[in-house]
Amino acid sequence: MTQTLKARAPHLPGEAGVWVFILGDMAMFAALFITFVYYRRADVAGFVHSQHALNQQLGALNTFFMLTSSWCVALAVHAARAGLARRAQGWLLAGMACAVSFVVVKFFEYSEKIAAGITLTSNDFFMYYYMLTGLHLLHVLLGLGVLSYLWRSLCAPAGHSTLRTLESGACFWHMVDILWIVLFALLYMLR
Amino acid sequence: MNTRNELLCIWSAVIFVVIFTLGLWPLANFLPPHLPTAGAEEIATLYQDRTWQIRLGLFLMMGCSGLICAFVAAITVAIKRMEKSAGVLTYAQLSAGTCGAVFLIVPCLVWTAAAFRPERSAELTLLLNDLGWILLFMPFTTFVVQNIAIGLAVLGDRGEPPVLPRWVGFFNLWVAVLFIPGGLLTFFKTGPFAWSGLFVYWVPLVVFLSWYLVMFVMLRQAAIKHGSTA
Repeated sequence: MTQTLKARAPHLPGEAGVWVFILGDMAMFAALFITFVYYRRADVAGFVHSQHALNQQLGALNTFFMLTSSWCVALAVHAARAGLARRAQGWLLAGMACAVSFVVVKFFEYSEKIAAGITLTSNDFFMYYYMLTGLHLLHVLLGLGVLSYLWRSLCAPAGHSTLRTLESGACFWHMVDILWIVLFALLYMLR
Repeated sequence: MNTRNELLCIWSAVIFVVIFTLGLWPLANFLPPHLPTAGAEEIATLYQDRTWQIRLGLFLMMGCSGLICAFVAAITVAIKRMEKSAGVLTYAQLSAGTCGAVFLIVPCLVWTAAAFRPERSAELTLLLNDLGWILLFMPFTTFVVQNIAIGLAVLGDRGEPPVLPRWVGFFNLWVAVLFIPGGLLTFFKTGPFAWSGLFVYWVPLVVFLSWYLVMFVMLRQAAIKHGSTA
């Protein structure tokens, strides 16, 4: 198989083009994070005070779902490389279940905030809270679409292109995971 | 297919970017943007002091925006080649791209109305000025649909070699994501998500103009290659 031969050479996971999207998207989030830190410096006390209103438990729960989901998708790629398409599909479904749980938790977290009268325009901290988590949530929803597409592509007889598509999608999903880790640290943890 | 006409449409992207920037920047001086927090008197004074430059700048911005339609036609032809015949993505890109041109022409006309009678009540000038900014920077929706249509068409191209390299598809999907924060200007008057902010004005504007240049280079190569093989 070409894949086993190629694996020995330096290997870029996924197709080269997908990295244009991933690096570009990470650049955008990096700009968002830098802007957040820049505005935070002007009002550290206010930001820390607002931060207390965040639900750390729900944030931590979502970190758990994100990491587990990423792990499941990594296992799916591993299974597909070994030619076990059914098992790969199973891991993808597990990853998608974690992603759906993430969205559900986010829904309750937002509802809790809105019920407490905290919205996008309450103050600068909550503007960033809603914008950063909202843009990230959009990526999670896009990622759910990507994962379902990968699940479908595994129904077809496995070939080199399927594996590469799987790797490309998995790289995107790991990016969504990494972004959440940074986001969680910045918004929920940073003192 | 007539390659010369196709190249003409492709070159219209460069002409558009040059004239639009000229009108926006040195003439109308809408770069950097007006602040959403500026008062009525302040905005009215801008229109009174630079009436002629603003009128001329907007005339050029409006006048070159029709070229977008020609460029959209060139993209449509390229997508048609990717889809082998005119499929849904061809039409999605064509209709979304055409709507996009409208949202460049209309704001210029609204600002022109403000510059038409700069002596009128400052509150009315402020209203027209607001309307122009909102019309230009909020409607991300058609641009997002257009970019996604291009992205999906490029990535779905099974031709060997493909009409456009695959990274152009991912680039378009990325651009689609970058336009979305523009819609949020409705909630803010200050900060990075206000219409004068980093993620509504600067990033989308730079991305929008550079998107034309990237697409110009790639479509030009593709058209020349297609012309020599057809």
